[in-house]
Amino acid sequence: MSVPSRSGDPKVVFEGVSKVFDKKGEPLQVLQDVDLTVAEGEFVCLLGPSGCGKSTLLNIAGGFERPTDGRVSIDGEEVTGPNPKRVFVFQEYGIFPWASVWDNVVLGVRDRSKEDRHRIVDEVIELVGLKGFERAYPMELSGGMKQRVEVARALAVSPDVIYMDEPFGALDSLTRLTLRSELLRIWNERNPTILFVTHDVDEAMQLAERVVVFSARPGRIADIVEVDMPHPRDIGSPEYGRVKNRLYELLGVTHMI
Amino acid sequence: MTFAVATLVVSVAVLLAAGRLPKGAQNWVLPIAVAAILVAMWDAACVLTGTEVFPSPLDTVLAFGELIESQRLWGDATASLFRVTWGFLLATGVGVPLGLVVGWSTRTFRALNPIIQGLRPISPIAWIPIAILWFGIGDGAGVFLIFLSSFFPITVGTMAAVRNISLVHQRSAMNFGVQGLELFRRVVLPAALPQIITSLRIALGVAWLVIVAAEMVGMETGLGYLINDARNAGSRYDLVVATMILIGLIGILLDFLIRRLERFDEVRWGYSQR
Repeated sequence: MSVPSRSGDPKVVFEGVSKVFDKKGEPLQVLQDVDLTVAEGEFVCLLGPSGCGKSTLLNIAGGFERPTDGRVSIDGEEVTGPNPKRVFVFQEYGIFPWASVWDNVVLGVRDRSKEDRHRIVDEVIELVGLKGFERAYPMELSGGMKQRVEVARALAVSPDVIYMDEPFGALDSLTRLTLRSELLRIWNERNPTILFVTHDVDEAMQLAERVVVFSARPGRIADIVEVDMPHPRDIGSPEYGRVKNRLYELLGVTHMI
Repeated sequence: MTFAVATLVVSVAVLLAAGRLPKGAQNWVLPIAVAAILVAMWDAACVLTGTEVFPSPLDTVLAFGELIESQRLWGDATASLFRVTWGFLLATGVGVPLGLVVGWSTRTFRALNPIIQGLRPISPIAWIPIAILWFGIGDGAGVFLIFLSSFFPITVGTMAAVRNISLVHQRSAMNFGVQGLELFRRVVLPAALPQIITSLRIALGVAWLVIVAAEMVGMETGLGYLINDARNAGSRYDLVVATMILIGLIGILLDFLIRRLERFDEVRWGYSQR
């Protein structure tokens, strides 16, 4: 089942991607035959239950793991390893606790001229709302601010693809909401392609243009649901409820308790 | 005896009333009161048993004065500290780089870890005859023994620290193209540093224990030798106890100094917040 992209040129293309892990001698299939095309500048959420392989798929796209079968290509070139143009934002904080906010954010542009470094770092720190915290260390920041640092570090390299693996999963629900709307603002401003893994139906609905729903292990694409609602989205509208019902249905869980 | 009883009574009263003092003051008052009780009990025990050999607290204070006056104390303390300092610095210089490499490279780890683990349980004290054979009686043997006793905690601690570096940090580094020597400088060393400092602290504590034992067995200067000498030269247990107390105080000072390393911004994250 090859799904054509919604708009724009194909950016990230998964073709027949399967992944089998070796678990104490037993083969464990976590992904089976995943075909997916993500368009340039698109915001796609990968939604599924825990252990469905959606994070593994993201790690394969990011070049941290190799598929057992199939291939992932970006701009027509097969992914064989990590690349600074495509940046990963981790759930647990991937920023370095031993370095200040500024030193963390400069990581991806450390080889640029001094002028460039200052211009870029100041700009992205301002963009994520961390101005004034440049010299702070991560331990002095709240969870939400740490995640802003991580996003700033990713944005500094002007990536064309950003992979986000449940980036707001460890935050409280109010901070999550704020960061979601700020992520949308940044996406609008810079328009990178975003692949965003989550197990939270509302998160997927609020962010994505398309939601790719995974079945439980071995992870397969159950369906792809378009969220054809302009931002800002009215989360009380009938359309929102209809799409949400559809997602719950695909996940096989009841939405009435 | 009246002195002991009076101290005991006052100290217990202070302990009971200390709850009303501010927290900062309690940190000082409580341990001092407990120490005073212990000294009072020590004094009382000396009086009650009528011992002629074991020194009372007052004898010990006088012995301290005698040691300072005779100028032996300074020479022996610096001899011990000299051996510990050089042995410890050498062990740090060799152990930290070695631990970083062995911890990072799986093949080196496979090759060297069994050997390191096999040599580690051999007490540095057991090396004393060999140390004397190789270096003679003197500073060389002492430095060598302290090197041995610090080397293993530092190397093993650094190895473990590197092997504990989180996958997320390694992947962040890979993602931003950090590799080779830059990877060591930017990620491996800073990530491992808090645990390395902890292993340095453990190693220094061990070194201070070992040097005293080594000096008692196989050297002719140092605080360990001073203890042995005081006993052999007419059972001067007052000098023995005074030296023991000094050894404890220097140990506290060394630990205090090395703990300053834990305060830097670059490593504070690695220690639990209290």
